[in-house]
Amino acid sequence: MSTVALLTDAVAPHAGAASPADYMAARQQMAFTLGFHIVLASIGIGLPAITLLAEWRSLRTGDAVYAELARRWMKAAGVLFAVGAVSGTVLSFEMGTLWPGFMDKYGQVFGTSFALEGIAFFIEAIFMGVYLYGWDRLSPRAHFLTGVPVVIAGLLSAAFVLTVNSWMNQPRGFKLVDGEVTDVDPLAAMFNPATPVQAVHLILASLMVCGFIVASVYAVGLLRDRKAGRDDRYNRIGFAIPFSLGAVCAPLQVIVGDWAVRFVADNQPAKFAAMEGVEHTQAGQPFRFAVFEVPNALSLMLRFDAHATMRGMDSIPVDDRPPAEVVQTSFEIMITIGVLLLALATWWGFAWWRRHHSPGLPWRPWFLRVAATAGVLAAVAMEAGWTTTEVGRQPWIVYGVMRTEEAINPNPGLRYGLYIVLVVYAVLTAATISVLRRMRHTPPVAAPSDEPELEPAP
Amino acid sequence: MTDAAIALILAGLSAYLLFGGADFGAGLWHLVSRRRADKDVIEHAMGPLWEANHVWLIFVMVMTWTAFPPVFADVMSAHWVPLSLAALGIVARGSTFVFSKADPDQRWYPWLFGVSSVLTPYCLGSVAAVVATGGSSWLSPTGLYGGVLTTALCAYLAAVYLIWDARRLGDNDASLRFRGYALLSGAAVGLFALPGAAALGVRSPMIWLSALAGTVSLVLLLRRAYLSVRVTGGLAVVTVLWGAAEMSGLDLDGAAAQDAVLRAVFIALGVGALILVPSMTWLYVLFQRQPRSP
Repeated sequence: MSTVALLTDAVAPHAGAASPADYMAARQQMAFTLGFHIVLASIGIGLPAITLLAEWRSLRTGDAVYAELARRWMKAAGVLFAVGAVSGTVLSFEMGTLWPGFMDKYGQVFGTSFALEGIAFFIEAIFMGVYLYGWDRLSPRAHFLTGVPVVIAGLLSAAFVLTVNSWMNQPRGFKLVDGEVTDVDPLAAMFNPATPVQAVHLILASLMVCGFIVASVYAVGLLRDRKAGRDDRYNRIGFAIPFSLGAVCAPLQVIVGDWAVRFVADNQPAKFAAMEGVEHTQAGQPFRFAVFEVPNALSLMLRFDAHATMRGMDSIPVDDRPPAEVVQTSFEIMITIGVLLLALATWWGFAWWRRHHSPGLPWRPWFLRVAATAGVLAAVAMEAGWTTTEVGRQPWIVYGVMRTEEAINPNPGLRYGLYIVLVVYAVLTAATISVLRRMRHTPPVAAPSDEPELEPAP
Repeated sequence: MTDAAIALILAGLSAYLLFGGADFGAGLWHLVSRRRADKDVIEHAMGPLWEANHVWLIFVMVMTWTAFPPVFADVMSAHWVPLSLAALGIVARGSTFVFSKADPDQRWYPWLFGVSSVLTPYCLGSVAAVVATGGSSWLSPTGLYGGVLTTALCAYLAAVYLIWDARRLGDNDASLRFRGYALLSGAAVGLFALPGAAALGVRSPMIWLSALAGTVSLVLLLRRAYLSVRVTGGLAVVTVLWGAAEMSGLDLDGAAAQDAVLRAVFIALGVGALILVPSMTWLYVLFQRQPRSP
């Protein structure tokens, strides 16, 4: 791998620096644990939202199916929240065990974001407890209202923690004088130019991931029902609520994605060149996607001028180039899945609109079969998008200011940490899925004996 | 402002030791106790949803890397092995804790829960001892001593707290057993801690306070004053931490973040506390309330 060779040269002059193997292992460990946490955090944001949608319907209609779905979703949210909490704790450790150089120099610049994230997260945890334990201890209306802070605090904690990543892309709010950080302005760091676009993009993505993952569970259930000749309203509603959430976000995400690409094109030319596979700076850039190439299209799309000049990778010094193939491939995966999900969402909207004329339209088997894969696809798209922005920022950990190899823990043996983490997380994933499957098979309202059967009517 | 930041970090560490430490200790007793009744008390006494007490650890880490970035970077990078193990221990504990509630038939979960409850405080304690004494490695005798001492302190705290918890649940047998565990572990920890403090050259008055509180606790245990022993037992444990902190002598002034940063963090924490404290109280009140009958 050329990247490794390149890094060896860069690293070698430092005495006692991490070996290339340890350096790659640390990056992989960070990517892997973050990638794991992102999926859980997405569900942690989205699941309370769809639970509240179901509970709101149950309050409005008194329909027991909605109440039952809300109860189950929130219990699953409780388990996933616990796993998300610990996988998030691991990330705080890794900030120091893997990237002490980064924390040493810049910890104070973005630390306030983490403090705010911690507070929001704790509020989320407390109200999650109130919500879970309040089912039979609060009036139905009050109970519904206790769920609202869970959703808001979840969104806020995601946004706060994201400001750190957007800061890594667009570092602001400090000055470097002789290599020392001074004049720190925590708010300017938090509200750096990349924050709005990245926050909206991530929150929409997490709602899509959660919506499509939950819906795919019920899509499988509906396909089973059809085979057995049953017709289960429970599975249909269980599909419709989360899938609709994902479907509403999908077209919005296309618009925000466009905003994100334009932002990167203006502010991080190396990342942009890698994403779009632009090798040479020239006027009238063609648009390349997989094996296709449309002349002048990239310039036209980005600058609304078919002959606009756009920078290519050759304008970036060799030492400052990200590994372009990884970035381009993951970007293309994200775009492809995004378009597919948009198509599914469009079909769902159309079928729902026509459902009174042809009631079977939203439940066509081919659609359910594709929809059953939408959850995994959305999660893959999210990981691909994350890879695009993170690998696209390389070789910088703080864009233009600090290189990733300056940040790494110089102590030897980091790669063994990666191996252990991989094993532990594999077991954790398997156990989480097994527990959730088990929860699905317990009879409805499998609850402590002190609970009444269902939500009493208001 | 630097002093305020240090005070907050020390307060966070103390809370983590007193509450999180008791959770670890409860996990240890869960592992060694063979009686179902004891395990029931332990499961009942611990957090409802998620191991909320880790929030103190996260608070300490975020405060440290924001207020004293070089200290965080040095400690975390030098001791990355035991700290990574502690992080994985927290993962194993936190997840097996909820898993064993959702899936009670799986035998592995309680076992892993117990083992990680011992591993995590051991690793954290050994790092704390090494940092406090300016030592080098968690594998040194100091690290070993700190790890064992911390784990034992956690076990002692948990036993002290569980006496009252068992009684509140109406299990007097279990309550008496936890009293026995508390007496034994309290005496053992005291005998282990004092020579250690002498060997490491700790001269802090905190050690004498700790010894005094520990002795009073033993008397209170014998006299079955289960609520007051929660206070003196906690004091006996937390003074060990304060003594170690006094000893560490890290150069914190030179490592402190800029005033603008500290000010922003303090404001954030203040506003956060305004929301957190009432909601915490409400959650606690809600717990005590019986479910409505249909």
